[in-house]
This record gives sequence, C-alpha cells and structure tokens, in this order.
Amino acid sequence: MNAPIFALAPVLPEIIVSLGALGLILLGALRGETAAWLVAELAVAILGVAIIVVLRHPDTTGADFSGSFIDDAFGRYMKVLSLIGALVALLLSLDFTAREKFASFEYPILILLSTIGMMLMASANDLIALYMGLELSSLALYVIAAIKRDDVKSSEAGLKYFVLGALSSGMLLYGASLIYGFSGTVSFNGIAHAIHGQVSIGVIFGLVFMMAGMAFKISAVPFHMWTPDVYEGAPTPVTAFFASAPKMAAVAMMVRILSTAFPGIVTQWQQIVGFLAILSMLLGAFAAIGQTNIKRLMAYSSIGHMGFALVGLAAGTQIGVQGVLIYMTIYLLMTLGTFAAIISMRRNGQMVETIADLAGLSKTNGKMAFFLAMMMFSLAGIPPLAGFFGKFYVIGAAMEAHLYTLSTIAVLASVVSAFYYLRIVKIMYLDDSVGAFDKPYWVVDWALVLSGIFVLAFWVYPSPIIIGAMAAAKSLF
Amino acid sequence: MIPLEHYLTVAAILFTLGVAGIFLNRKNVIIIMMSVELILLAVNINLVAFSSFFGDLTGQVFALFILTVAAAEAAIGLAILVTYYRNRGSIAVEDINMMKG
Amino acid sequence: MYQTLVFAPLVGFLIAGVFGRTIGARASEIVTTGLLFLSAILAWVAFVKVGYGHQSAHVDIANWFTSGDLKVSWAFRVDTLTAVMLVVVCSVSALVHLYSIGYMHEDESRPRFFAYLSLFTFAMLMLVTADNLVQMFFGWEGVGLASYLLIGFWYQKPSANAAAIKAFVVNRVGDFGYALGIFLVFALTGSVGFEEIFAKAPELANKSIMAFGYSWDAMTLTCLLLFMGACGKSAQFLLHTWLPDAMEGPTPVSALIHAATMVTAGVFMVARLSPLFEQAPVALSVVTIVGGTTAFFAATIGLVQNDIKRVIAYSTCSQLGYMFVALGVGGYQLGIFHLFTHAFFKALLFLGAGSVIHAMHHEQDMRNMGGLRSKIPFTFAMMTIGTLALTGFGIPFTSIGFAGFVSKDAIIEAAYASDRFGHTYAFLLVVVAAGLTSFYSWRLVFLTFFGEPKGSGHDADSLHSHADHGTDDHGAHEPHESPMVMLIPLALLALGAVVAGFAFKGVFFGAGQEEFWKEALSVSKDNKILEAMENVPHLVSLLPTLMMAGGFLLAYFMYIVAPGSAKAVAQANPVLYRFLLNKWYFDELYDFIFVRPAFWLGRLFWKGGDGKLIDGLGPDGVAARVVDVTNRVVVLQSGYVYHYAFAMMIGVAALISWYLIGGVR
Repeated sequence: MNAPIFALAPVLPEIIVSLGALGLILLGALRGETAAWLVAELAVAILGVAIIVVLRHPDTTGADFSGSFIDDAFGRYMKVLSLIGALVALLLSLDFTAREKFASFEYPILILLSTIGMMLMASANDLIALYMGLELSSLALYVIAAIKRDDVKSSEAGLKYFVLGALSSGMLLYGASLIYGFSGTVSFNGIAHAIHGQVSIGVIFGLVFMMAGMAFKISAVPFHMWTPDVYEGAPTPVTAFFASAPKMAAVAMMVRILSTAFPGIVTQWQQIVGFLAILSMLLGAFAAIGQTNIKRLMAYSSIGHMGFALVGLAAGTQIGVQGVLIYMTIYLLMTLGTFAAIISMRRNGQMVETIADLAGLSKTNGKMAFFLAMMMFSLAGIPPLAGFFGKFYVIGAAMEAHLYTLSTIAVLASVVSAFYYLRIVKIMYLDDSVGAFDKPYWVVDWALVLSGIFVLAFWVYPSPIIIGAMAAAKSLF
Repeated sequence: MIPLEHYLTVAAILFTLGVAGIFLNRKNVIIIMMSVELILLAVNINLVAFSSFFGDLTGQVFALFILTVAAAEAAIGLAILVTYYRNRGSIAVEDINMMKG
Repeated sequence: MYQTLVFAPLVGFLIAGVFGRTIGARASEIVTTGLLFLSAILAWVAFVKVGYGHQSAHVDIANWFTSGDLKVSWAFRVDTLTAVMLVVVCSVSALVHLYSIGYMHEDESRPRFFAYLSLFTFAMLMLVTADNLVQMFFGWEGVGLASYLLIGFWYQKPSANAAAIKAFVVNRVGDFGYALGIFLVFALTGSVGFEEIFAKAPELANKSIMAFGYSWDAMTLTCLLLFMGACGKSAQFLLHTWLPDAMEGPTPVSALIHAATMVTAGVFMVARLSPLFEQAPVALSVVTIVGGTTAFFAATIGLVQNDIKRVIAYSTCSQLGYMFVALGVGGYQLGIFHLFTHAFFKALLFLGAGSVIHAMHHEQDMRNMGGLRSKIPFTFAMMTIGTLALTGFGIPFTSIGFAGFVSKDAIIEAAYASDRFGHTYAFLLVVVAAGLTSFYSWRLVFLTFFGEPKGSGHDADSLHSHADHGTDDHGAHEPHESPMVMLIPLALLALGAVVAGFAFKGVFFGAGQEEFWKEALSVSKDNKILEAMENVPHLVSLLPTLMMAGGFLLAYFMYIVAPGSAKAVAQANPVLYRFLLNKWYFDELYDFIFVRPAFWLGRLFWKGGDGKLIDGLGPDGVAARVVDVTNRVVVLQSGYVYHYAFAMMIGVAALISWYLIGGVR
C-alpha cells in the first residue's frame, strides 16, 4: 500500500461507477434530452464493467479510509447483487421510458448514483459511512420514484416515500447517536468491543431505533406501509428497481451491522428480527390475497419475502447468514423475472396492471404464461424450483438455531401465500382470454426467459451460489 | 457544568416533537419537512453532546455530515413537493391518498 | 467422451422437445436417432476400453450441492458394470429410435415421442453412470417420469392414462423404500458417494440400529429398504402390477423401457451396491426368495394371456426374477450377464411383436391372429430366434447355444450350487419356470404364426388404438411386412440374441471374469459360487434343457397337433384357469386392501374434513376467514402518510416496551 493509487484498490468499483455517473452528467448536459437512450446504454455498460471488476476481485479482505470502508467477500457478494438488480432494471426501462414519454438522461444517472450509495451500504464499516451510503441511495430513490413528473400517482409515490424515508433515516440517526453515546465509537469493530453481555436500556433504545430505520429500507412490518403505495405509483421499471437493488443493499447493511457491530448481544437483536420476520411473513401472506393490482401484489409479496430472509438472519449464525444470502440471490432473480413479465403487460399501447388482465394468457402467449407461472411457483416455494431452496436454507438455519416457533410460522405463511401465487397461474391458464398483449421489447422478453431458466434449472447446479454465499458469510464471522 | 443527561433530555424532547409533528399535522407538507429538520437537529444535539463529553471529535464530524445531507434532503423534498403541487394543485397532507389498500 | 455419451440424448431431447414443432417431425427423428447412435458407438468404445483395456474412469462434472456434511457431486463412475449397462442402454435405445421411425410414422406428435425417448435414455444414463446414491436417485426418478410420459403417450386413451398413473404410483411405493435406504446409508456412513460407502461397508457388518422398538441389523435393514426400491422398478412380486398395464404405451416403448432398460435398473442397483448386500446375508436370502417367486408366478400368468404384448411383459417379469435369484445367491456376474443377454432377445421379441401388431393394423389379441408365417416371413424368423434365445435353446454341457441358454442355465446351476438360505426353493421354482417359459413362448409363436388366419371377424377400424388411424391408407386389411427401417433393428438384435451368449460368456463369468470386472462388483472372499456351479451334477445341468424341450413339445401338441386341446384343458380346470387369467387376483386384492380404504378415507376427509370443518367453519369456512383477515389488514393501509408514520412509531414503541416489560433475557 505504498503508492496511493493502490490504496484505492478496494474502492475501485465504486470509483468506476462514480466517475461514470459524472461523465454521463456531462454528456447529458451537453447533448440534452436527445441523449437519453445513449446515456442509458452507457450506464448499463458502466454497471456491467463494475460487476466484472467486483467478480474478478481477488479473494481478500481490504479496508480503506481508516477502516470505515471494508471490502470483503460479503460486501462483494451483495454488491454484485445490487449491481445486477440495477443493471437489469435499467435494461427493462430502456424501451419503457421512451414509450411512456418520460425518457430523460437524468434517470439512468440517478440509478447509477443510487447504486453507488448501495455499494457503500454493503461495504460501510462505521456508522458515518453507513449513513452516507444510505442517504446517497435514498435521495436518488426519492427522485426516481417521482420521475414521471406529469403523473400524479408517480409524484404522490415520490412524496410519500420521501416523507417516510426522511422519518426513517431520522430514527436510524437517533439510534446511531445513542449507540455512539453508549459505546464511545462509531466503528463497528469498536462497538462490538464495547457492547456485549448485559447492556443498558440506552443501548436497547439505540438498537431498536436503528433497526426501525433499517427495517424501513427492507420494508419489514410495521415499517412497510410505504411499499404498496410506492410500488403502485412508480413507473413499472422503477418498481422493478425498487424491489430488487435497494433491498439487497438494505439487507447487506442490516446483516453486516448486526453480525459485526452487535455480536455481543445476539439474543437481544434476535428477538427484534424474529418479531419483524413473523409480522412481515404474515402480512405479506394475508394482505396480498385481496389485491387486484399486480404491482401492489408484488409489493406485499416482497414484504413477505423479506420476512423469510429475516428468518435466516434471526438464527444469528453463519449458516443463517448464508441462508439469507442465498435467499436474496434467488429473490432478486425471481423478482426481476416477474417484473419483466409485468412490463410486458401492454395492450394496444397502454400499460395494464390488474391481475384480471392476465386472464387466458396461456392461449395468447404461451411462452410468457409458462415462464410467469414458473416465477409464481418459485415465489410460492414449490420444489424443485429455486424459490423452494431459498426457503429451505433459511428455515433450515432457523431450525438449527432452535427457533421452532419462527420456523413453523414461516412454513404456515408460505402455505397461505401460495394461494395468491397459484391464483395467478389459475387465471392465466384456466380463465377465458381477454385479448393478447402487444409484442414485448426483446430485452424484456429475454430477461423473463433467462430468469425463468435460472429458476427452473437452479437445482441442477446450485453450487456457485451456495459456495459464494458460504464464503461471503464466513467473512463476517 | 450542565450534565450530559440534560442535553439528552432536550434532544429526546425535540425528537418526540418532530415525530409528533409528522403524524399529528394534517394540513401542510411543509410542516412535515420542518419536523424532519427538528428530528435531525435532535440527533445533532445528541451527537455533539456525546462528542464533547467524551472529548472525541467523531460525533461532531458526524453532525457536520448530517447537516450537509439534511440540506440536500430538504432541497429534494421541496422539489418533489413542487411536482406534486403541479399535478394535484394542493399540498394538504390529507389529499395525499390516491393510493391505498 | 463420457460427457458426450451421456449428454447427447439430452441434447436430442432439448432439440426435439423445444424446437420439435418448428423443425418438423422428420428432422426431430433424424436428430434424436443420430445422437443416440453416436452414444451407442461411444458406449461400445467405452465397453472395450473399460472391460478389456482396464481403464475405469471417474469423471467429475460439477459440485451439485453441499449442505452441512452432505456433499453431492455430478460425476460419472465408469467401471465395467457401468460399461455393460451403457452398451445395453445405448444400443437398445438407438435401435428403438430407429425402429420407431417406422412404427410411429402415422402419429402426429412424433417430435414429442422422440423427445421423450431421448429424455428417458438420458435419465437412464445418469442412473447407470451415477457415482453416488443421490445422482442415482435423480436418474431413477427421471426414468420413472419418462416412463410415465411414454406409457401415457396416447393420452386420449383413458386406459393409457390409468396405466401411466398406476405405474407412477406403484413405483412411488418402491421409491419410498429406496429413499429411506439412502437416508439410512447416509446416517450410517455419513456419505452418499459410492467410493466412501463401499470403503466403510465392512465395518458396518453386524452393527445394529434401533427402529420401531426393535434392534435391527443395520446392513440388513438398509439393504431390504434399497431392495424395496429395486422391486418397484424391476416389477418384482407384490410390486409387479404396473408392468403388464404399462403395455398400453407404444410398442417401442415397451421394448426399450419395460423390457431392456428401465426394469433392469433394480438389478443394476443391487449389483452396484453389492458391497453392501454382501454384508447382509439375510437381505440376499430375501432377494433370492422374491426373485424365485416372481420367476415362477409371472410365468404361470404368462401361460394363459391372450394379448401378445402382455405375454412378453409377464415373461419379462419372470426373467427379472431369474436375475434377482442370481444376485441373491451371490452370482452378481450371472445376474448382470442375464440382464445383458435378456436385453437383446427381449427387445427383439417386443419389436417383433410390434412388427406383428403393425402388420395386423394394431391388433394385439393372439386369438385373432394365425398363419402369419407366410405373410411376414422375416418377422417370423426374427421372432423364432428371439423365442429360441428366451427359452434357452442350446447344446447341453457346452457353451454353444442362444444367448438365453448360456445365461439362464448358469443361473439355474448357481441356484442349485449355492448355500444361501432359500436357494432350494428358488432352484425348484426357476426350473419349473423354465418349462413354463418354453411353453408360453412357443404358444405365442404357434398362435401367431401357425394355423389358420383368424382375423376375419373383427372390424379393424373400431380396434384402432387412436383416432388418427382412421385416416390411414393401408388399403385392404391384408397383413403386410414392416418397412426396412423396422426390420434392420430386428436383424441387429437377433444377431445379439444369437451370439451374445457364447461370445461374452468367458469374460462375464468364465475364466476372464476377474480380469473383466475388477473392482466393479464386490465379491467377498468366501463367495465361491462361480467355482461351486462348475461342479453341479450332470442332471442339474441337463434339467433346463429338458424343461425347455418339454415345454416346447407340450405347446406343439396343444396348438399344432390337437388345436382344441388347450380349450379343453382350460375347461377341465376352470378355477385354476380363471385364477391365472386374472393374474392371481392381485389387482382385485390391492383394490380391496388399498384402493377402497383410500377412497373411503378420501371421501371422509373430503366430505367430513374439508366440507364440514374447513368449508363449514364460521359462515363460509377457513377461506372466508382468511379473506376477513385480509380485509382488516388492508384497511390499515389507509393511504395517509400520517397513519403510516404513526404505525412506524407504534412499531418502535412496541419493540421497546417488549424489552422494558422483561423481554430482555
């Protein structure tokens, strides 16, 4: 680490995306609105380069900026997930923004900026870095939610997300200030050193407030209320982005802070996480049943899925974290695939969003119906599709940690939630057709097919993901 | 010298006022923005108090970061509010309920 | 090379399955058949390399999954046993593909048919090349699935659907045992890889485990559970009922799956796990007894069946019994050798029967056939070779004879020479079964090819098995010889049926056997069965040939010399005749023991549990309660920001009070 240029090696992916985003701002400013498509394509390329750089990174752990930034296997794993989420969401929106007439060069840049924030969240190793990453990603997300400026739903989504997001980051900060006050440091390692065993009520206050702020980001009940409204109001590719990349980063942040800053009080945070998990799974299962809008349904579905991911975290063990990582990977691809199908729901040039619009899809577009049905089966956790393995790993970890009540509720919730997933399949295959959809853009089509193949064939060769997740989880313990 | 507890109490009161302002206010979104600022200031008081109590600069650095971010946050919030107003013609909190269920 | 061998059929399946409709039936046929022939050639290369060139291979493909101590890989274990199976599976499958081009030429969904055939072959190859129990289970279930799809290929026919479901369900019973066996093996050895299991097997002898309140010998219990799986797949006594019904599928399917390959998976599995079975003499006795029983019992039913395919199906069942007897007495080489030869002549018989059926425009009842000798002479010649091979025609005290002569007679000698508990029982039954086999095989030939043509009475169209045959343009209903593409596979299989016996005897269980098998089969030191069978009395060696001749003469008398006598015998013994005709009443028995109580239980749960409890609870049952919960939850989602913020504060407050009121422990 003599030459300063090498000292920045751990931050290389973030630097690439940052410089790329700045370059694109320049390009956009010079070329104006006409550059929207070009900027989007360049943004995709930048994200692709960043993914390759992260993947090809040697398997080491490095720290930077006096230890407030850490580059370990866990961080890299979550960064790849966030980057994939951002990249695919951007691809899905290429044709969409042009058709819906809100194409602007700011949109891809905002996605890049928010992605930088997410990468920082995954690598933050003290409270200040964590807060900066969180705010960078959130501020961009507020704007992205309201990106369709002349649409009342989109701007309402942005406003709601902003107000509640600001409140949640206020809570997180209040918690962080208490943790700082009771441990005397902001670095995670220092906190772990200072806080263990029997702790004062001030630490509990700090922990709860911080958890509340993070639970908001992953939309765990009861901090989930923004999710359905924002998912419904935001343009569909934006919803796809919201449902994928930020969730990865938020889970990364939560897993890292709980396992590296608070390993001394596992029993305390286990209860909070378990509490959030149970509520999220149940609400995700029950509230989705009555939905008619498929984006709202996916919102409740993602709430439920975050509950399942938290089940693995509640185990508080390395296997549990491994389960969370596997779960998030599978969830990411299932979500992107499902949203690719939702984006294809366009009839006579108009977007349609109700579940009833899917009726008889098997007769008008058999391929899309088949792959969407596979997504639904996988989301419901039916073996041998990928979704089943995600649930298997988290519930298995919870059982190993003797959390039997939690595991039982998880299984019951997945039974209830199977109802609404299967209902969609039933509507597609058994109901009478209400007319064919327009031909989808080829990128969207391929996104659905590829994620469908992933979901179908995951069991054949799951090792790369499982081994990657294992290495990532190991780097935290 | 004023003991640490007093600072913390003031901060807690400010924080509670801020939160209460968010969910008691039904009229104006601008007031919500002000409440958010109140929350952030409460946090800053906490941090600075702890910082000077420990004789450790970190807390004050944190507070400076928060001030910066708060400014950006307010700017973005107002921008979103303006687009909302243009679409809806109102900034009453009670009117923000197109989507529910 | 092995990757190409195994994955070529998968590629064929994907091409025909996904693009079948685009590229058309002809292209699908060519692609799948071509790839299968590639596999078959590679299989013979592998056979020579491994069997004679002594180059066993272990090919790692990828790590499949890891969960705690359980590590499973995708890997091929290619030793002599696998090489033999590769030859059998690939050769028969390639010929069946070729044959199907002719046999199925009227069918509209040929791409689907060829895709299924290739899928089956791939699954079977995964099964035989597996290097661990889980991969084997994957192949095991894969062939089960493909078999289900192929039996139900003509899904418009209710009987085909019923048969497919029956095959699937009965196999599940066996698979249940197999899965339990795998769990037990993992519990005992901490591994599912064959290498590790076999290394640990000797330590496990005489170890006992507790289950159901009894102390069991660990190896015996494991092997019995695994054998249960083998019974299901190989249609052994008590789990045999699906095999005859499986004849509802197209005839090439019967030849490939229900004669030559899938049903022998059970035999293969027991041979593959021979190191385990060697440690469990009790389990081997059970194998012997079940095998002997099946050999005899299926042969008796075969005596009176009238459907040409069902006769051969019961014959298959019976021959599988022979293989299990060989395994049970410790003669694994003999069992596999019989598997090898049987694949040729049984596939020949099935494809020959298919040729007859094709000639008769989908007539399968032998009572409506007759005199076909002059109409389809080539098929007749091939069927005769198949029958000679099946009945074991050859010169006693030498190795010169048809394939079945060499392999079957060796099994009978081994059954005599063994000292396994139950060997005498098995010996007597297989000897009698040899006579029965001869009788029903010649009865089939005589009824079909000799005597007067009897097909006049039936209306051909009404018996056509599926709708699209109504439009075929065969012209008059005159029996006709099949096309070349069907006859070539017959000729090749006939070649195998003639020479496979004496050509391979030396290496399979003769002088070169140790050199040939090497580590593939584990035979413990005190297993001297191969030497013992050399020294059996001359009478025992002669016995099978005598039985064969007796069966032939009896059939000749009853169907050629005095054609009415068969009916007379049947009328003289009506009870016995009905007992055999109704297959020992097994279907009725199972209907009474399992099916009806299951229906009763089902109705109880449906009307009582589901109807009264679940639908009845509250105004409209559980479903309505769920919707109520949903409605209440959704009301919380009011759309107002201040409600949302309030909910968040309530959440924080709830969590903190949880701790203050004593949550912290």
